[in-house]
Amino acid sequence: MTARRSTDHGAAGDTLSSDTQTATLTSTSTPMATPLEPATAATSSTLEEPPPEKLSDVRRRIWVIVSFWLIVLLLGLPIWWKTTTIHRANLPLKEMLDWADGKACRPVFPLRISIQANSLQEQEAQNLLRLTQHALDDLNDFSGHHLRLQLSSPAAAQKQKDEPDTALTIRLLPGEAVTATLDPYEPVLDITYPPNAAPSATSASSTLATYVAGQLRSTFAEEQAIISYLLSSNSIPSDYRPQGLTPEAAESLAKRTTRSLKYAPTYHLTFSLFTSGPLPSSWDIEAAIQDYMKPVLDLLSPIHNFTIDTQVQLYASPGVQNQVLSKDDLSSFINAAEWPLSPSIGGAPTVNFIVFVGNQTIALSSQQDQDAVAEGGLNTSQSWLIPQWGTVYLLSLPHDTAHVSVDALKQPLLTFTSHLLSLTGTPNSGSLPLRLSTLSRIRSADLLLRASSTLGSLARLALALKSISIPSSVADGVSKTIVHLRRACETLGEAEGLEHARIAEAEAERAFFEKSMVGQLYFPDEHKVAVYLPLLGPVAVPLVMGLLNELKAWRKRRREAAEKRKAKKKE
Amino acid sequence: MNGGKVTLGRTAGLYAGAAVLRLALFTLFPGLPDLLTGRVEISTPVTSFKRLQEGLFLYNHNVSPYDGGVYHQAPLLLPIFNLLPSFSTFPIFTYLLYIAVDILSADALLRIAESGEAGSSARFTSPRRDKRWSGAVIAALFLFNPFTIATCIGRSTTVFTTCAILHAIANAISGCHFHAMIALAFASYLSMYPLLLLPPLILLCYDRQKQPAGPRAPDAWIKFTGTMVMDVFGALAVLFQMSFMLTGSWEFLSSTYGVQLTLSDLTPNIGLWWYFFVEMFDSFRSFFLAVFWLHLSSYVGGLSVRLRQQPLVVITLLLGIFAIFKPYPSIADASLFLGMVPLYRHVFPLLRYSFVIAAIIIYATFLGPAFYHLWIYAGSGNANFFYAITLVWGLGLSLLVCDLAFAVLRDEWEVERPEMVGKEIRQI
Repeated sequence: MTARRSTDHGAAGDTLSSDTQTATLTSTSTPMATPLEPATAATSSTLEEPPPEKLSDVRRRIWVIVSFWLIVLLLGLPIWWKTTTIHRANLPLKEMLDWADGKACRPVFPLRISIQANSLQEQEAQNLLRLTQHALDDLNDFSGHHLRLQLSSPAAAQKQKDEPDTALTIRLLPGEAVTATLDPYEPVLDITYPPNAAPSATSASSTLATYVAGQLRSTFAEEQAIISYLLSSNSIPSDYRPQGLTPEAAESLAKRTTRSLKYAPTYHLTFSLFTSGPLPSSWDIEAAIQDYMKPVLDLLSPIHNFTIDTQVQLYASPGVQNQVLSKDDLSSFINAAEWPLSPSIGGAPTVNFIVFVGNQTIALSSQQDQDAVAEGGLNTSQSWLIPQWGTVYLLSLPHDTAHVSVDALKQPLLTFTSHLLSLTGTPNSGSLPLRLSTLSRIRSADLLLRASSTLGSLARLALALKSISIPSSVADGVSKTIVHLRRACETLGEAEGLEHARIAEAEAERAFFEKSMVGQLYFPDEHKVAVYLPLLGPVAVPLVMGLLNELKAWRKRRREAAEKRKAKKKE
Repeated sequence: MNGGKVTLGRTAGLYAGAAVLRLALFTLFPGLPDLLTGRVEISTPVTSFKRLQEGLFLYNHNVSPYDGGVYHQAPLLLPIFNLLPSFSTFPIFTYLLYIAVDILSADALLRIAESGEAGSSARFTSPRRDKRWSGAVIAALFLFNPFTIATCIGRSTTVFTTCAILHAIANAISGCHFHAMIALAFASYLSMYPLLLLPPLILLCYDRQKQPAGPRAPDAWIKFTGTMVMDVFGALAVLFQMSFMLTGSWEFLSSTYGVQLTLSDLTPNIGLWWYFFVEMFDSFRSFFLAVFWLHLSSYVGGLSVRLRQQPLVVITLLLGIFAIFKPYPSIADASLFLGMVPLYRHVFPLLRYSFVIAAIIIYATFLGPAFYHLWIYAGSGNANFFYAITLVWGLGLSLLVCDLAFAVLRDEWEVERPEMVGKEIRQI
């Protein structure tokens, strides 16, 4: 089109000739109707003045110009307005920023701990409870993590235990000395006490109460540390933050956090058997999983779902062929180019568990490991954990083994199971039920904070880029996120809380990564000039010039007419 | 009718020659039709014979022909081709249909030429009008134009639109308004863009209507225009209703006209749209689609006002503009425009760039397929090669449009200023 315009005018220019008999063409040669004026520059005396334009010609030219401008004004402008206005759905920006700054929700984990003291008098038990609570409150410097004690009557004991929101039950039993043992299968802490340690109904202090409080605190110390680490790494105001987190503790927590996988409702577990030769070619993996891993998977099921697949690969050569693997070799052991370890099947992140049959071992070299060698006599290890990815287990078998039995798989699978727990971010200390309930609380807090910070980022983005369009689906996602965040905040520490936090996080991510918005992130306003000008500029020049020339001619005609009238009046 | 009386025998011979030539090309080079059908210069997404066959196959198997997003042509073409014996067994019938349509177009063009409308319309008579070619020559120039022949062999469905447009013009000149409007409705139904020819065609009908002597009522033109518009839209409504009954849904509207309006199929063609919209930012796509369509339609008003005295010139220039700026142009559109241009034999001496135009068009004709080959098959070029050559093609055609407009206007102006005949002029 640009070419077309320029040829129009170029064509007119080409007819310039040195001939003295130059005349004017009092009409246009283009459909764009370039306005004309009578030749004014009569430089040469031989140049004869063209006759004045006829009125009908003038009128016709005005009509041509009007016909183009009518299309521009009546159709062009409304279409421009309609197609380029940016749809910005209303976002509750204030609320979103409040969530991101931690003003909307104060993450508080009220942990209910019930005390069963069947052998104590009601009065005594109440006093013990009061004293223990006092001791706890004195010890605790972190308001976000509350331990609330309650007394469970013997009759209600059974009922209480079924209630899911009781984090821990303390069973006080009379015994020889003061001891504390965690039940390995249930969230129960057994504390025995000598008969004289029980406080009377009126005493103001008790060693037993202090002891119970100390036990509780140490049991939940790790959880508290993790949660306070999560809060401190987000933009939660400092007055909710605990003060006591040492840099070393923070560093070890950071290490653990980077090791564990990002939370997902479903993980895909891939069990692979790689052998360096033709044998073994089969394994009893299903039975082994059933025996050694399924129980833990079942326990994790309220928090995660798992899908499982297995594969066997013969003649697989590892990335490192050394007999003894050093620490540096471990990172290159996985032969990513040849081993069929697909990054992800479906939407769920994959956790890889690899059993490599060969005679390689891992050398232990660090000081700590040397100590272990000195104590246990072992100077090699079989397995290592790859952060956020999975585990490799080196299994040495006799050369002629064709089939890997369940027994041979026991140790690898137990290793895998414990690594799976650390990959999912389960804390290290405490009994398994306690660790799992802690995991669900940690994950809820993590998701809640992540969804909040995503909301904050979205709000800041919407504020920073005034010209970005916000589709209504984003506003939808934001309102859903906020609803679920609010519910998650109310039910924090319960099973429901995790569910709400999970939905909130998914919705927030979806809203933030909306496809139509991402493209516009990199489209500043100045680029619009580059979009509009190359095409519309050349179109606008003849349109605007035509209009201006015509207006000028009209004013001149009016002035002349007025002068003529004046002259007539004078006469 | 003094440009050499055409005998019936001469025209019949001309048509027979054109038919034999086409038939020979069809039968002697069996690979040629399919080769030409696949060329982007001839087959666009909205006119391709291959896509028509796909639609026909789906239609015959009781599936909506628009399923799969391949077929974008009018639904009424399907029963027409369905009536013919199967293309795979008796291709000759399809060939004969296309040859017949070409000859019908040529016949309409011959009628337009014989009427002498180009030289002397109702309101304007050119002093040069005696210098003109006979209808047979003009029909021959159309029939033996390589672009027309290639379009016919490539079996593009544009030929039906071309035929309808030419018949609309011929009927308008001979005073059969109703037939003209019906033909225009058919053309619009097939390709949509011919609807933009309605204003100049109404002017042409109005000028050429047979009517008793005596002054017309001052508001007669309003009534006349109303009738014409009613005719066109009535015919279109009937065609749409028939299409609806045929396909059972209104889906065809978005699949045929919607594709032309939104340019959803970005197959390269010789037009200027596809490359632009391949590169366009998504958020501006709808705006620039509207700009391109407005640009295409903005010429109608201005040209009709400026060349009110010669509506046939307006139609010719618009056909040239459409051949350059419509969303899916092909050489078939150029062949229609080039077929109309010889009607203005009398202003040819006033053309300034005839040599440049001819050179550019020939240059683009040969380099276009070569650059397309370099891009698509050889892989040694890229899309810019082909786009550059389509720009050159557009430049050639727009030069022709401008030059023709200039020549016609100068012809008009010399009637006003007889003393200026043959003098050099300058536009200021």
